[in-house]
Amino acid sequence: MALIEGRNLRKTYNLGRRNTLQALRGVDVSVEPGEMVAIMGPSGSGKSTLMHILGLLHSPDSNHGPRPELSFDGRDMVALGEGERTRIRAREMGFVFQDFNLVPTLTALENVMLACDYAGGGGRHARQAALEALELVGLSERAGHRPAELSGGEQQRVAIARALVNRPSLVLADEPTGNLDSARSEEVLALLRRLNREHGQTFILVTHDAEVGEACDRIVRMRDGLIRDGRAGVAGAVAPGTR
Amino acid sequence: MRMLRNLTRRRVRTSLTILGITIGIWALVIFGSMANRINDMVGKGSAFYNSGAVSVWGGGGSMPKSNPIDISTAGRIASLEGVDVVVPGVSMNISDDAAGVSMGLPPMITGEVAGSDDGRMTIVLRAASGRMLTAADEGANVTVLGCDLARQYGKRVGDQVTLRGESFLVVGILDATLTQPDNSAMVPLAAAQRLYLSTLPSLVKLNLTASEVATGFTVYPKPNTAPETIAAEIKAADPELGTMTPGDFGRLAGSYAAMLNAVLIGIAFISLVVGGLSVVNTMAMSIAERTREIGIKRAIGASRVRIVREVVAESALIGCIGGTIGLVVGALIVTIANDAGRPSGTILFELTAGTAVSAVAFSTVLGGLAGFVPALHAARLDPVAALRYE
Repeated sequence: MALIEGRNLRKTYNLGRRNTLQALRGVDVSVEPGEMVAIMGPSGSGKSTLMHILGLLHSPDSNHGPRPELSFDGRDMVALGEGERTRIRAREMGFVFQDFNLVPTLTALENVMLACDYAGGGGRHARQAALEALELVGLSERAGHRPAELSGGEQQRVAIARALVNRPSLVLADEPTGNLDSARSEEVLALLRRLNREHGQTFILVTHDAEVGEACDRIVRMRDGLIRDGRAGVAGAVAPGTR
Repeated sequence: MRMLRNLTRRRVRTSLTILGITIGIWALVIFGSMANRINDMVGKGSAFYNSGAVSVWGGGGSMPKSNPIDISTAGRIASLEGVDVVVPGVSMNISDDAAGVSMGLPPMITGEVAGSDDGRMTIVLRAASGRMLTAADEGANVTVLGCDLARQYGKRVGDQVTLRGESFLVVGILDATLTQPDNSAMVPLAAAQRLYLSTLPSLVKLNLTASEVATGFTVYPKPNTAPETIAAEIKAADPELGTMTPGDFGRLAGSYAAMLNAVLIGIAFISLVVGGLSVVNTMAMSIAERTREIGIKRAIGASRVRIVREVVAESALIGCIGGTIGLVVGALIVTIANDAGRPSGTILFELTAGTAVSAVAFSTVLGGLAGFVPALHAARLDPVAALRYE
């Protein structure tokens, strides 16, 4: 069974009174547990919108057309209210963003603990989990540093630790290497790949970077709000779900 | 801790906002203490009138006057139906230029025959040192000073004090009452009559004998007789007399106090509203600056309630810090001003624990409320849009 599966996903944004943007025009997508999938495409192709819908940050449009479907871990997501979607984001999903988006006043450790806190965990256990997550990304020595005292690559690794601390079944990353030089980029990519292999977590990466795409099991290519191609990537020689 | 760190992100702005609240609470503490003091004086005054006593003076009108009345009037009042005890008394300003110097309570010389109230007086005055006057003091030049007056003159028991040109032996000093007696010199009736006579113009004086003069009577009704009934009887018997019942006093004092309180508290509230608005502004600004941060928090699973709680808690903390500083500064000023005023008998403030606690509680709640609208705005942000916000 797919971990996350969407059908008839459409999204239109109202930019002005008569100016609308059809970001997604009807997309069917399915990601198996343990898969590492890259969503690629030019700017404006709808890849970020798709990620936001899969990550429950936005809901698919349900007017004008066939009824959208979205299931995560076997549960219907379309009908869920904001509170329940927030809870699933906190407990079962992890997010990594292009700009790292750490809270500047908190240390690396506190940033990671924040995610535990929102997921309903706290106290000693959260601290332990956060330290382990930082160790996983090789930053346990920098736990007490604020984001401003860390390099871009380090900040992104903290963000990855924050995404992983609750052991989510799905990690969504929006251009995770977009703001890093190629050496840091490779480091982060290798880290994601390793986490995917060792922990069996499912990754969905939105990226411009062909190298990132090549490192994934499968590339979903988008253009003009539609999926053009969902073939397996180089690293995805092993059929998804069979590992 | 985290909240404190958030506050230090924009130190100048946060400090200015806290200063705004500080000034508001400072004003509330100062004016509140002043209002406490006034209410206290009014309350003590009311307590005096709670005995059901009717004050009577010569010359009519609705406010007490210091006109001479023949002491024989006391006998006529005592013969009225329902009257229990009549206490003749003399009271006058301690000096001709003292009136109006101190707020509400000018220093006075009062004379009554000790014990002539038959125990009907409801405020029990006690000597902090020395003794109270007794009926046996009549004819002697002895005095019991109120605590503020004693401090102002620097007199102790055993010292001589000059009142209206005559020398008196201080035999006692009163416990603080926080009202009129603190600023009074109590003397035997005969001495008060003599001093009073000396203050009158010579033409008036010619027709008067010291022992036959009084400035007023305190009339205690019999049980089950209303003070108003007595007052009406007295006025019917002699329209030249003025009366004040406990009800009259309560209305008069109540309306003065209410007006004063309204003005004082009003000033403080205006400054607090200004302070509160600056908290709204600060929180709105800091939320605008932190739009991305709120977006990321929402994205990684912070509920709307959680965001509201964080923002409201932060602005309540601003209110609490501002309130606490305002209270400390206010308390300091109140203490210094009272200490400075004590020698001259001018105690303007009374800072109660209630005022202190409610000032800080109020500023905290105000801060929280001020943060509420920006907090709701923050919680309603679309996480995706907030993440893209530059």
